[in-house]
Amino acid sequence: MRAYFARRLGQSALTLLGTSVLVFLILRVLPGDPAKMLLPEGAPQSAIEELNRQLGLKEPLHVQYAIFLRSVFRGDFGQSFQYRAPALQVVVERLPATIDLTLVAMALTVAAGVAIGIVAAVRAGSRYDYAGTVLAVLGQSLPSFWLGIMLILLFGVTLHWLPTSGFQGWRYLVLPTVTLAAYPTALVARLTRSSLLEILRQDYVRTSRAKGLAERTVVLRHALRNATIPVLTVIGLQIGTLLGGAVITESVFAWPGIGKLVVDAIFFRDFPVVQTILILSASIFIGINLLVDLLYVVIDPRIRYG
Amino acid sequence: MTARRPGPLAAVGAALLGVIVIASAAAPLLSASNPVKPTFSQRLRPPLGLGGTASHPLGTDNLGRDIWARLLHGGRISLVLATSAVLLATGVGVLAGLLSGVMGGLVDDLLMRAADVQLTFPVIMLAIAIVSVVGTSPIALVGVLSLSGWVLHARTVRANVLTVWRLDYIEAAGALGASRHRLVLRHVLPNVLAPILVIASSQFATMVLLESGLSFLGMGIQPPAPSWGTMLSEGRDYLSNAWWLGTVPGLAISAVVLGANLLGDGLRDWLDPQSR
Amino acid sequence: MRANVTRLEAIGRRELLVGVGAALGATALRLGPAAAQAPAAPKGEIVAGVSERALTLDPANHYSISATSVLRHIFDPLVDVTNDSKFVPALAESWRPVSNTAWRFVLRKGVTFHDGTPFNADSVIFTIKRVRDNTKLIKAFAYQDVENVEKDGDYAVTVTTKRPFGSLPAHLTMLGMLPPAGAGREEEFFQKPVGTGPFRFVKWTHGESVTMAANPTYWKKGVPKVAAVSFRFITELSTRAAALRAGEIHVIDRVTPDMVQTLKASPGVRVLDTPAIEAQRWIFQLAKDPVKDPRVRKAISLAIDRNAIIKDLLLGYARPVDSPVPPGLIGHTSFGPKPYDPEKAKAILKQAGYQNLTLDFVLMKDIYPKQLEIAQAVAAMLGEVGIQVNIKNLEVASAREIRTAGTYDLFYSGWAHMPHDPDWYFGQWFTKMGAEKLTRFDDPKVEQLVADGRVPDPKVRQAKYEELERMIWEDETELWPYYSVAIYAISDRLQGFEARRDYYVLLSEVAIR
Repeated sequence: MRAYFARRLGQSALTLLGTSVLVFLILRVLPGDPAKMLLPEGAPQSAIEELNRQLGLKEPLHVQYAIFLRSVFRGDFGQSFQYRAPALQVVVERLPATIDLTLVAMALTVAAGVAIGIVAAVRAGSRYDYAGTVLAVLGQSLPSFWLGIMLILLFGVTLHWLPTSGFQGWRYLVLPTVTLAAYPTALVARLTRSSLLEILRQDYVRTSRAKGLAERTVVLRHALRNATIPVLTVIGLQIGTLLGGAVITESVFAWPGIGKLVVDAIFFRDFPVVQTILILSASIFIGINLLVDLLYVVIDPRIRYG
Repeated sequence: MTARRPGPLAAVGAALLGVIVIASAAAPLLSASNPVKPTFSQRLRPPLGLGGTASHPLGTDNLGRDIWARLLHGGRISLVLATSAVLLATGVGVLAGLLSGVMGGLVDDLLMRAADVQLTFPVIMLAIAIVSVVGTSPIALVGVLSLSGWVLHARTVRANVLTVWRLDYIEAAGALGASRHRLVLRHVLPNVLAPILVIASSQFATMVLLESGLSFLGMGIQPPAPSWGTMLSEGRDYLSNAWWLGTVPGLAISAVVLGANLLGDGLRDWLDPQSR
Repeated sequence: MRANVTRLEAIGRRELLVGVGAALGATALRLGPAAAQAPAAPKGEIVAGVSERALTLDPANHYSISATSVLRHIFDPLVDVTNDSKFVPALAESWRPVSNTAWRFVLRKGVTFHDGTPFNADSVIFTIKRVRDNTKLIKAFAYQDVENVEKDGDYAVTVTTKRPFGSLPAHLTMLGMLPPAGAGREEEFFQKPVGTGPFRFVKWTHGESVTMAANPTYWKKGVPKVAAVSFRFITELSTRAAALRAGEIHVIDRVTPDMVQTLKASPGVRVLDTPAIEAQRWIFQLAKDPVKDPRVRKAISLAIDRNAIIKDLLLGYARPVDSPVPPGLIGHTSFGPKPYDPEKAKAILKQAGYQNLTLDFVLMKDIYPKQLEIAQAVAAMLGEVGIQVNIKNLEVASAREIRTAGTYDLFYSGWAHMPHDPDWYFGQWFTKMGAEKLTRFDDPKVEQLVADGRVPDPKVRQAKYEELERMIWEDETELWPYYSVAIYAISDRLQGFEARRDYYVLLSEVAIR
């Protein structure tokens, strides 16, 4: 397994490099140019050309990439076109908010999703199951902006229980977390329920029960282990996408995170910021998948890599 | 513990979906109102029962268009687009997962790393890039939507294959000369059916929402044509004063998700050999 | 990293309190013999929620309304402009044109920067030369006509220009004066900017908020009235409105007509509106069939029911146009409203031999409120006269590319006269070089009038602009559907807030109960 791990590590490095090239290229292939986005509507063509030149965008692509790579190794990810501040600084400033939101949302997803899934499976067919189904359907189909705005109107404006937007303390996390976790929680709940139902019907579970073990032990010991794998897959995927994808939740709650930052940067053609965020999230993503793959082996020793 | 009877609920799910599909297909028959023509004097009328009239049972939108008509006509487009995208994502994902898990080695590495790379890019960026290369045809849209969905299927199937591949009796059978691949498929596919159905039936809503999010790239539906996605985004600005604009298509999506969930669970119960 | 957030916030709060404390302390020290005439000490904090992010704190490096609002609190320009477009002294006590190509500014004495250094001619020279010479700056292109800036003693400056620059004072209302000490270390300077303004910079979180504390040594007495001001950038209107209704912020801008009712019905909230100095103008691709034919443009103009748009879609929060330049600005005149006559439109098209026209109407996503709704309404109206309209609502960069490439017929746009002067508008859109990659406008007679209108003499300018406007009005060079109305909502705890026509949110003369 160590050989496998080393191989995966090497691959990851290569993937990261490949991703950086792809990011670089795709950005420069997109229609529209950064200078036009920065300058006002009434700016003359000459000013646009000049600014593009100043931003280093008139050099041949491989030269631009070489310059970029060199500075990345010095820790310099370039200057944000929009903010005229170091791209790394702009991103790092907003990273904690996203990480906080992501971690808390994931915790909620796992806790609530698994709990609902267990209850629904163990009491399959009862009204708990039906309630779980309703919750799951709502979680999967309600648009985040709808849920977010409704929560703000209810808890922020009408009841004054929670703040409406921003991130200035822990209370500010509540509504955005619920909004963001709704979909993955529903998915996790359904997957947990589904996997549990399968296992609970299998022979060896019946055999265990015949041996006289308490039902709860049967459930927890054998069943959850098997159910963990699809759930783990979902969570691994969610963390990756959340880092760059919680744009709607961040917009609705004016959350100072990188989800909205990266989308705004894409629309603005702020290449350095997009590059920084994508390379950063690629690193995190690749790292997490490495971890998840490792966890697969730990959880189910039957999975061996050769 | 009471065993769940798959029968009636799956039938309910199927019936629900059936009704929605037929209603959308029969849109012109079920509604006489024009879904695209504005009538300024009829803006933002509430639905029947909340101050509205029977001529507009679900109310009117910000341009005075009948929401019931837009819901039905929009359903056609959204159902086709979202379902195609889910089917494509599932198909590609399952195939990729199988290849990855069964063949292992280089194929596995390539596919999984490709997935990693693709997931790094926000969908919006990929969509803009794709539009700039191939334009905004519906096929391109379905492609972009599926891109956002295949990886989950692939990873789930792959994990399952890895679990099954090394089972002792599979190895034993392989040593005896039986085709390991065929055995694996026979074991994997039923096992993996459940999570795949769950994931696929969840993805419908995501696809509709994504479609609404991409419409401003010229992908998806350009106004004034309706789709559930565009109705949702149009309703976004009116949540505090005309909430039915955004809520009605949301409920329609929920109904489809409910039907798909029930049907999916029912299908799983029916096809799973272990539960017989 | 989690702890960092709270710590950063704590530092922010601490800095704010120190700033406020210093302000109060300094003000308290001022109370003495002059206590009877001293204004009340500034107290309270106002939080504004604005829709657009301020991307920079360098007055020369942006043309954003939001950044102009924020920076007007930290920096002072030479000239200020009132809400009815009158130019009034700020850091310049007076100014006059010495010739057609020279302006002389007499500077205010006794003004200091937040770091204690004095404001004088050196600052003006530095600021103007910098914006002209550093072509990386967003405002650079507007100052390329500046030939030289010379001091005349420490408190007077003469700016000479290459060609007549009558709108120079107007442009200068948007250029905060910088201390020469900022030279050479600009990147660092603009992370913690120092100006002469009524508020001192405290903290800036990129894309999220800017916080400022009162300047106790501000040159204008009685200003500011509050101890601190924060701008929060909240792009989602529902969220902005919710924050106001919940009492978390005190001012919001860019309220849409549909949101007005909800806000008016909220306790503690007042809604203010004012006609903006912004004209919506939808531009034609003047080199492309069929819209390059003025008859087609005329038919299109006749087919649009502007009053229905104003009344039904904008709920009355818009004004009918009577000239390309909004009222209050130099150059405004009245040609009467544009008529709505679909029958005549049909007749014109028939006579000119056009049948089954199809037009591409391109929009830039989310730029103007209700733009998609209005575009659909217009598409329906044009459909009535036999013109099929394809709406293309695209992300901004792609839309602009299409405009550059010229593959559009009609493009949804507007023009807010930020410097309160139409010279920029005319210079950009009605000269061949300016409009080359935009509307492809080319009319030497109009272009000559634009050049003639650049002289400082307001009477000459008015005459030239009127003549110019008559020509483009009759030619239907652009479509002018309506003048915008700016809607703000404020907490009723605010006193003295002025709803500005230029969309700026200015808080130095506002108090909070």
